[in-house]
Amino acid sequence: MSLSNLLNDWTRYRQGIEEGGFHDYEHIFGMAIDLNKCIGCNACSIACYAENNLAVVGEEKFAKDQGMHWLRIERYWDEPDLGADDQEFQEHGASFLPMMCQQCNAATCEPVCPVAATYHTPDGLNAQVYNRCIGSRYCSNNCPYRLRYFNFYSYYETSWPAPLDQQLNPDLSVRDKGVMEKCTFCIQRIRVAKDTAQREERELVDGEFTTACAQTCPTSAIQFGDLQDPNSKVSQLWKQYQVKLGTTEQSKQNKELRGYRVFESLNTEPCVMYLDRVREV
Amino acid sequence: MSGHEIKRRDFLKVMGWGGVGATLAGCDMPTTVTLEEGKEEVVSYMSPEEFVIPGIGIYYASTCQQCSAGCGIYGRVREGRVLKLEGNPASQINGGKLCQMGQAGVQTHYNPDRITKPMLRKGKELVEVSWDEAMAELDKRVGKSSSVDGQRVAWFSGSMSGHQSVLLDAYLESVGSKSHFVYEAINSAVSRAVNAEMLGDATPHYRFDKAALLLSFGADLLGASSSPVHYSTQYGEFRSAPRGMHVQIEPSMSLTGANADLWQPVIPGTEGVLAYGLINMLVNKMGYDASGLSLEVRGLIGKYDPAYAAKVTGISEERIEKIAGLLKSKSPSLVLAGTSTEGQRDGYNATAAVTLLNVILGNVGKTIESSGTFPFPQMAAKAGSSRDLLSFASALGKKQYDVVFFHGTNPVHTAPNYLGLVDNLADVPFKVTLSMFLDETAAVSDLVLPLLSSLEDWGTHVADVGGSTQTTDVTIQQPLMKQLYDDTRGFGDIVLSLLKARGVEEYTGFDDYYAYLRDAFSSTPEAITGGLGTKAFWQGSLQKGAVSIQLDKGALQSNPFASEVSEHKADPSYPMHLAPSARLGMWDGRHANIPWLQEAPDQISKVVWESWAEIHPSTAAKMGVTNGDMIKVESRQGAIKVKVYVHRGVHPNVVAVPMGRGHEQYGRYAKGRGVNPLKILSQVTENKTGELALYGTRVKVSNASDKGTLIHMGDSESQVGRKLVSTVTAEVFKNTEGGGNSVA
Ligand code: SF4
Ligand code: SF4
Ligand code: SF4
Repeated sequence: MSLSNLLNDWTRYRQGIEEGGFHDYEHIFGMAIDLNKCIGCNACSIACYAENNLAVVGEEKFAKDQGMHWLRIERYWDEPDLGADDQEFQEHGASFLPMMCQQCNAATCEPVCPVAATYHTPDGLNAQVYNRCIGSRYCSNNCPYRLRYFNFYSYYETSWPAPLDQQLNPDLSVRDKGVMEKCTFCIQRIRVAKDTAQREERELVDGEFTTACAQTCPTSAIQFGDLQDPNSKVSQLWKQYQVKLGTTEQSKQNKELRGYRVFESLNTEPCVMYLDRVREV
Repeated sequence: MSGHEIKRRDFLKVMGWGGVGATLAGCDMPTTVTLEEGKEEVVSYMSPEEFVIPGIGIYYASTCQQCSAGCGIYGRVREGRVLKLEGNPASQINGGKLCQMGQAGVQTHYNPDRITKPMLRKGKELVEVSWDEAMAELDKRVGKSSSVDGQRVAWFSGSMSGHQSVLLDAYLESVGSKSHFVYEAINSAVSRAVNAEMLGDATPHYRFDKAALLLSFGADLLGASSSPVHYSTQYGEFRSAPRGMHVQIEPSMSLTGANADLWQPVIPGTEGVLAYGLINMLVNKMGYDASGLSLEVRGLIGKYDPAYAAKVTGISEERIEKIAGLLKSKSPSLVLAGTSTEGQRDGYNATAAVTLLNVILGNVGKTIESSGTFPFPQMAAKAGSSRDLLSFASALGKKQYDVVFFHGTNPVHTAPNYLGLVDNLADVPFKVTLSMFLDETAAVSDLVLPLLSSLEDWGTHVADVGGSTQTTDVTIQQPLMKQLYDDTRGFGDIVLSLLKARGVEEYTGFDDYYAYLRDAFSSTPEAITGGLGTKAFWQGSLQKGAVSIQLDKGALQSNPFASEVSEHKADPSYPMHLAPSARLGMWDGRHANIPWLQEAPDQISKVVWESWAEIHPSTAAKMGVTNGDMIKVESRQGAIKVKVYVHRGVHPNVVAVPMGRGHEQYGRYAKGRGVNPLKILSQVTENKTGELALYGTRVKVSNASDKGTLIHMGDSESQVGRKLVSTVTAEVFKNTEGGGNSVA
């Protein structure tokens, strides 16, 4: 199983390089995150906890790096692009980076899974099949973004003492120990939108659905949508900033234009585009 | 309501619509709400046929009560349970967005440490009793036939508004009490007072989305402000092309400061001098006209020359000149003062100096707009201040009360030790707390009445930030599900029964608070209902989550006045300044019982589950401490021990210990976790307003010789050369994204 998985991925990967990204998916859900707008408030992260049944692991386990924050706001103090890092004060504030699964099209986590628990869906999503996962943790070892979270314990036993459990979202499961989990681009929300569209015999409409994080972001820093739909807001943004799939280095007409993918040189083909932070110096 | 006739005027007063003869316009009432799933036309979960559609989530409108901003929410309800909260896109306050505290509202509601039965003190212990017994006890103490002297009854609450406020006023009137204290540890009382005096509007609209430069003296707009989401959405606009610049001047970095283009540390208490130094530079070097100002004001401006300002603040003259230059070149600007500036002995004067900058720069009317006047004063927001805590404490010291009610605030946790609140409360014969939790205040009370959660209760709210210059919303809070515990009651219901127990005739006809609200809506002035029938208006309001109210037109004035700021004095035995900073998250401590928020990394330090103290690397080096080491922070009022987090976003003379943790009660998630910096505040009050000077405490810090590790997210504070957060300069941004939205 893993061999065919691997071969499939390899074929897609080859094809992607030759043809500027692989586009044989029905949808390719993607994001645009504007770091000029992100204020680092963490609302998106808590929205994700609420939407996706993320467990609270508690002080001791958090100290051992077991926090289950599918979406974490990284905060860096250095600013390599603005030169010297030896100032006395943090004069340009902080650098915030909302980091969730980058939904790589050439996901490094996928081919290493011995049981194909993580695989690519026809929607271009990097999915995780919980009841297939055997907990080898190869995928998380292989994720350059460190965005996979392992259930070392049955966190649910302590995370939702009654009646907190009544808040759990019935549209997705609660995970037990031994399985890997991570951001799904709120697949259950996509599912509802797709089902509705199907029932109404029409195409998905951009804007009729979004992820929990994008929904709540007070500054609208996060945009979510289908990169296969040329008219979607997110496609327009990728186009506007000349960021393309199928490359390890963006070549832009105007070199100064914002827009990049984190670690794209690794050829993971992430579907999340970041727009550079801006500071007046 | 039936039985007796009341005059229309009085009737309107009973119903909260008493006012000053408003000009009212019609409202735009949607016929349906667009719902994310199912697309049902839904009014309220109260209509049973729409209540449960198996497998389908339905969204109902309500109002967030996690802070006093009162954002509009949609609650996703499935199989009778509320699962998720989202912003109501129609809200004028938050435009469909929520902050992390709002998102966590469901964990307040479903919190495992809620109290589910009334509790009465018998001997030393609080024991669970029935409502009958609880109400009988209340009746004995404050009922009609009790011997209570109304003057000796006090109500102590957090910010409130809407019909709950109308009912509470009616109750206090019926008792004969004139003592309603409204307290918020996080407030903007000083700025309000200055604005009222200088601009003729206590809460003008700040429009930084229209500003080319935002200069903030410690105003944490995006974090601990009067409307975090409202200001954050505006900030998103402000940062869009043609992107405004943001300068933040504060003792320790706030969430807002973390987003600044230029972050400038300052010694708390010197901001007023800095503001005058800037004005001096603008007038004397940059051609700003001061001739319209009084001689006294001009005299003051002359006194604070840049050299003097530089000496007092420790900020170089070049830097002061740079900021003045920015104010000149980037117009219109908006200059705001926040807690670090307000919370000083002369915070009022310092805030006035900051506001004077707006007058001189011509910002008034451009980036500061009139907020208009809300035509129904009975329902208007009663915004909290800390002065009310201080006057309450001093009244307690004089043994002025026999009965005190607490609700919506937890003063026993947030009051400084020096106020001796707990000791003085012990002398109050009967203390009642209306609360969802056994917090520190409930724990010292004699009677605790368990409240419904805000997601189970009815209410109306009027926010005092948000809205336009023409309209504002009365937002509606409706239950998003059936109450979890039979023996909990709504706030309005409790006040209504208190009113009935006093035998107040106008209210005896209402079965419950819901019936009262329905009647209040039936009596809505026609100018608001737009002629809609009673039922249609009620249902439409519930769907929309708000009623739009036309404001009386207001106008800003400009009455600049002289406000001398005192010289900052060093205190050799307590050489450091304490910054008890507030955070979007724990807030004033009310959210310490929410597991999601305890485990949410702090925006600045990324610490979870515990307290920390922020100090500058140079301070840390002198003390010989590094991240995680324990230090002792000692004021004249006491000491706390806390782990240290070292970063360059703190003034070297400042130690910042965020408030919100250090609970002695308040459930499993909050109790015994972290420290409470508010406890060691010194007895410093703001001269003019009588507010607690939150940033006026001097401390000394020492190495507590205890090595430890901070529990926080992320191993690396640096990108180690990887392109994680790429930064471009504003110049590049302007070249590529320009003034318009064109990308070339
Ligand atoms: S897309 Fe959904 S699952 Fe992914 S980070 Fe956002 S809220 Fe979480
Ligand atoms: S909600 Fe938006 S602004 Fe806040 S941290 Fe997330 S992406 Fe950034
Ligand atoms: S700012 Fe946050 S907590 Fe306050 S009302 Fe809005 S969503 Fe709720």
